[in-house]
Amino acid sequence: MADLLSILSQGASSLDAHRASTATASHNLQNVDTPGYSRQSVMLEAVIPATSTTNAYIGRGVRVETIRQARDRFVESQIPSAIGSAARASSEAQSLSTVHVLNPDMAGGLTSALADFFSGLRALSQNPGSTVLRQNAVDGARGLASSFNRTADGITSARTAIDQEIEGAIHEVNDLATRMAALNVEIRKARSTGAEPNDLLDTRAKLRDQLAEKTGAIPVPNSQGDISMTIENGMALVSETSAGQLSIVPDPANDGFLKVGISLSDGTGPFSLSSLGGKIGGLLNARDGALKNAANAVDRLAFDMAEELNAVHSSAYALDKSSGHNLFQVGSDPHQAAKNLTVNPQVSANPDLIATASSADTVPGDASRLFALIDVENAPLAGSGGKDATATLSQIISGYGTAVQRAEAYKENSESIRDHLLNMRESVSGVSIDEEIVNMTRAQRAFEAVAKVITTTNEMLETLMKLK
Amino acid sequence: MRVTDRMIFNNAAKSTSKSREKAQQATSEVSSGMRVVHPGDDPAAAGLLSGHRISESRFAALVATTGRASDELNAADKAFEGLSELITRSREIAIQYANSTYSGPQREVAAEEVKALFRHSISLLNTRADNRYIFGGNLDSTPPFDNAGQYHGDQGIRRVEIAPGVVEDASVRADIVAKGVGGGVDALATVQSLITALESNDVDTIRDTLDPLDTAITQTANGRARAGAILAVLDSANMAARTARDTEKGNASREADSDVFESASRMALAQRALDAALTASAQSFQLTLLNKIR
Repeated sequence: MADLLSILSQGASSLDAHRASTATASHNLQNVDTPGYSRQSVMLEAVIPATSTTNAYIGRGVRVETIRQARDRFVESQIPSAIGSAARASSEAQSLSTVHVLNPDMAGGLTSALADFFSGLRALSQNPGSTVLRQNAVDGARGLASSFNRTADGITSARTAIDQEIEGAIHEVNDLATRMAALNVEIRKARSTGAEPNDLLDTRAKLRDQLAEKTGAIPVPNSQGDISMTIENGMALVSETSAGQLSIVPDPANDGFLKVGISLSDGTGPFSLSSLGGKIGGLLNARDGALKNAANAVDRLAFDMAEELNAVHSSAYALDKSSGHNLFQVGSDPHQAAKNLTVNPQVSANPDLIATASSADTVPGDASRLFALIDVENAPLAGSGGKDATATLSQIISGYGTAVQRAEAYKENSESIRDHLLNMRESVSGVSIDEEIVNMTRAQRAFEAVAKVITTTNEMLETLMKLK
Repeated sequence: MRVTDRMIFNNAAKSTSKSREKAQQATSEVSSGMRVVHPGDDPAAAGLLSGHRISESRFAALVATTGRASDELNAADKAFEGLSELITRSREIAIQYANSTYSGPQREVAAEEVKALFRHSISLLNTRADNRYIFGGNLDSTPPFDNAGQYHGDQGIRRVEIAPGVVEDASVRADIVAKGVGGGVDALATVQSLITALESNDVDTIRDTLDPLDTAITQTANGRARAGAILAVLDSANMAARTARDTEKGNASREADSDVFESASRMALAQRALDAALTASAQSFQLTLLNKIR
């Protein structure tokens, strides 16, 4: 039988329940702008009646059953992968679009340098003995070499900047992995008390997303509630309560650019990683994909052109009737040819050494070999599959542009998928101020009602006390 | 779908940012007039643009070289014209003083005039253009004719590229025109012979110079005709190169430049979209329970 004192006691515990509702709504409101926060709801339940009177059960008020996070597991399971893909595409597109050395209309770029070089030779062909035109031709050759140097340097700088970004990202990843492993431990402990550590779960989900964003790591939950993060070939970056470490070393086979490896939490490794996802994967893709291809193609163009021009030039006769001078200095193979290309220092210092004549007896007016030099412009180059220098350069530029455009399109697409999923998660887990104000007002009203119950019960007790 | 405040703000940030980006892009296109700057803007157009720019420069160089070659040939033609006049005057003197009525002293005076004509001929044949001797063949850094009328050039013919990979003659050999190399008469030697005959009062030899001087006049006319023919080729090549250069310039412009009207209308549209996004965002921020229960 419900006596008045038990009603007072139930009222007190019901006040607690409604205070919890208010506190939770308040917590939600305070975290309305916290990234990764999932709104929480208080699940109230009626206290099961323990006693009955005559033929009816009298209720015993309300209590908090649990505080639950609003989550859609299906949507959430897709988010890390979407975040990783978007970050990969975004970092690749960003890295590629910041490189401007291949802009077709750039002053001093390869297009204008190539045009100026051959224009200089053409001008000289009209008067091969002219000192002014010889100097102009040497300047054109220097301009071409400098342009190749600048283009190679620009691409190398971009690749080096990517390495610096990777280095920074690796440190972040290792820190995130360590924190996530530690959180797995904390969550295990918290769960052992029987309650769900909602805010810890949010923090871990945030770390999970950040790791996916940096590395494309895939979360793998286990039955104990831990979340491991695996990358390439199932190697675990976070293995339950311990973390592996990513490392970087210069790769001699790739011009000393950084190679990423992983040391697993069991102490094995480092193992080389070749297909990371996320931001680091995108950076690696940009560095070793379109940028490397462009660098190699520019090297090949510089090498082939220098070889062809040298072959003609060295067989021709200079103003001093000497022969055998190369026009350009380039290494013995295309590797880093664009970076190392220079005009033969002797020719550079003495424009009279530009060889134009087919015989020592026909200098200075003979331009026949100069025409052969000019013909190199339209000659198929050795490493360009039958294309001449202009067509090869056009192909390099459009090939790079296509890579940028593809990366941009993939970025748009993957970001839109990611944003859609994040929107869906936000729709389920996000905080609505309107809703929370309603929840809080509802809890406040309930609290006031229970308070009224206590007041009424108290008055009833007082009435009883006054009975004489 | 449940809509949270964060969604409203995210959406507002995203839509205004996107609209601003589009408006900025359109504004930049309108102000710069450029549609393709980075290869990623339009890969195919960027590749073609590079090719068009190089071709434009190639044809511009051909315009310049064929133009300069034309200038030199014009100078050669002028020189041949002058030479022809001098030889013609020499022939007139020869005809006049082949008449036995003139005395020795009178012929000596005539010899002085022919000597002056000879010196002038040599100076014409040593004409320079662009700081080189245009009648020296490949040996164009020193005067091809000495004061005695001996030729010191070679038999080289200067050539010029008239179209990519196509090279044509761009000079006329003065050793053929003035010295009769290859079967003609040596005009300078004939004039010298006339001078000697006038000085020595040798009427027969004076008469003997008449036919060779006739042939020399024809040789010079042939030289001029040859120069004229080459000039016609060069002028036509120059015109073709100009047209090709302008075409390439137009092609490059078509690939790289933005369509002003299209860009301007896109800019107006982007600005309208931005305005709409900002208005919608501002409206959505106001619609909250917080504003109603104060």
